[in-house]
Amino acid sequence: MTLVPVTYKGGIYQHDIITDLIEDLGGYIVQKHIIGGEVVLQCFIPRDDIELTRRIAKPLFGEVTDSPLVGTEIAVVSMSLEIHHLPHPSCDFAEYARRIGAKTNMVSPARGPGKRISQLSDEERDVINEHDIAVIAFGNFESCIEYKWPALRRGIEVPIIVMGGPDTETLKRIIHPAAEGYVGHVGRFMRRGKTEEEIGILDEIVAEVTRVIEKKREEIAKDPLSVSPARLMDLIREHVPAIHDVTSPTPLTVQMEGLRVKLPYDTFAGDVRQIEIEDGITVSDVAEVVPSRMRDYILVKIRPFSETNTVV
Amino acid sequence: MLSIEYFEVECPEPLGAAYYRQITNDVLLDHNLLRVINKLHIFIDPKVPVFVAVGTLKKISTMIRVRDFANVNPLGDKITLVISDETYLAPMLKIFWQQFGKDKVEQPDRFTVILYNVETEAREIEDLVVADPSASLFKDLIYAFRLIAPEGFRVRSEKFSRERFSFVASEDTLAGDLAPLIRDKFALMGEKP
Repeated sequence: MTLVPVTYKGGIYQHDIITDLIEDLGGYIVQKHIIGGEVVLQCFIPRDDIELTRRIAKPLFGEVTDSPLVGTEIAVVSMSLEIHHLPHPSCDFAEYARRIGAKTNMVSPARGPGKRISQLSDEERDVINEHDIAVIAFGNFESCIEYKWPALRRGIEVPIIVMGGPDTETLKRIIHPAAEGYVGHVGRFMRRGKTEEEIGILDEIVAEVTRVIEKKREEIAKDPLSVSPARLMDLIREHVPAIHDVTSPTPLTVQMEGLRVKLPYDTFAGDVRQIEIEDGITVSDVAEVVPSRMRDYILVKIRPFSETNTVV
Repeated sequence: MLSIEYFEVECPEPLGAAYYRQITNDVLLDHNLLRVINKLHIFIDPKVPVFVAVGTLKKISTMIRVRDFANVNPLGDKITLVISDETYLAPMLKIFWQQFGKDKVEQPDRFTVILYNVETEAREIEDLVVADPSASLFKDLIYAFRLIAPEGFRVRSEKFSRERFSFVASEDTLAGDLAPLIRDKFALMGEKP
C-alpha cells in the first residue's frame, strides 16, 4: 500500500466523515488545522483510495489536492536573524512552504553573514542535519556565495537547495561541490514580494524542493523503512499521553525517515522505545531513539528494511 | 527615487548592483529619508570587500510648529485646537502641560485639544515649536546605511555633517587612508568631500 501525501480542505460541518474515512482506509492525519469555518487536513492516503476520498468529499464541498511536501521537515537556513535577512526572503519561502504542507524551521547560524567571516558551528550543522532537506538563502553577490559556500556546506549531509541573487545558471557554475538544487534571482531584498514575478519565484523554489524531495522518496522506496513515520506518530499519540499536553503547533513532527517528538528525552525516551508496534516488535527494534540537538527533544530515526529485516 | 538628483550604484557585478539599487530605494523609502538626500553614490566591491556610500544632503530647516498640524480657534476664554495629524500630538501636549498646567488643558477626543483661560495669544500658540526632525536625522541615516550595507560588513567609518556624508564599511580592517577613495566617489557626483 503506497501512501500519498495530500491536503484536504473543506467546511467544518461533517468533516469527521473525512477523518473517519482516512483512518478506515489506513491513512494518517499528520496535521489538522481548524481556521474559522474551514478544516485543513494534511494527511497520507493510500494511492488507490484518493478518488474515493474525492468522491465522498464532493457533497461536503471538500477538496483533495496533492501536497508532496506533507510529512517533510525543511530547514530554511537564513544567514542571520537580523533585519538584513529577515523577514524577506527567508520567511516568505518558509511561510509559503507551510501553506502547502511542509514543516519549515528557520535555522540561522550565529556567525552566518559576511564573506570571509562566515561560519557554521557543529551544533548548527547537526540541527540542519536533523531535517529532510535544507534550503540555504544566500545574498546577492556571486563572488561572496562562491567564497563562503565550501565553509557552510561542510558536514551537511542532507540535500541542499541554494537560493541566491545571481541567476540559476551562474549559481550552478560557482557552487562547488554541487548542491542538489538551485534557485536564482532570490537573494537579499528588503520588501515583501507582492508582484506576480516575485510570487512566481516562490513557486520555483517549491518546484525545486519538490523535485529534490521526490528524488529522496524514490531512493527511500528502493530500501523501504521498517515502519512508516506516520504510523509511528499515531502509536506515540496513543501510548504516550503526555504528548497531548505539549503546546507546540506540531508536537510530533513527521519527517521522511523518522519523526521529532517534542518531549524531554531523559523522561520519555524509554517510553517511546518500549512502544509495541505489532507482534512484539517494539520501536527500539526498528528505529533509533536519540536526543535531538534541537532543545531537549527526542529524534526517532527509522531504520530501513535492509538493516532490520522487518516491515511492520 | 524621483526626489534624488543623482543616484548611482557602482559594482563589478551588474546584477548585484541592480539588487542593491532596489534595497537602497526600499530602505530609504521605508525610513522616509528620500526627502533629505540630494545626491547619493554607492560603491560595492564584494571581492575587496568594501561598501562605500557618499552623498550630499538637502537643507532641512523646517521646525514643526503647532500651525503645521493644527487649527487654532480662539473663542471667548477658551482656545480650541483641531488636530489634523496626530504624529506630534504627544510632544505638543507635553509642552502645553508644562506651560499652562494640566488643569487648563483638556483633550475631549483624539483630534481636539481645548485650552481654558490661558493668557497666551492664539498666534503665539500657533508659532510654538513642537519638534525638530533634524535632531535624529544622523542617527536615522546611519541606521539606514547599516541596513543597506551587507550585514557582515561590521567595521565602519562614517562621517556625517549638515551638508554631506560618507559611510565606508567592510568585514576586514579598513585601509588606513580612506580619503582618496571617498574623494573619487564624490568626484563622480561632481562634488568635493
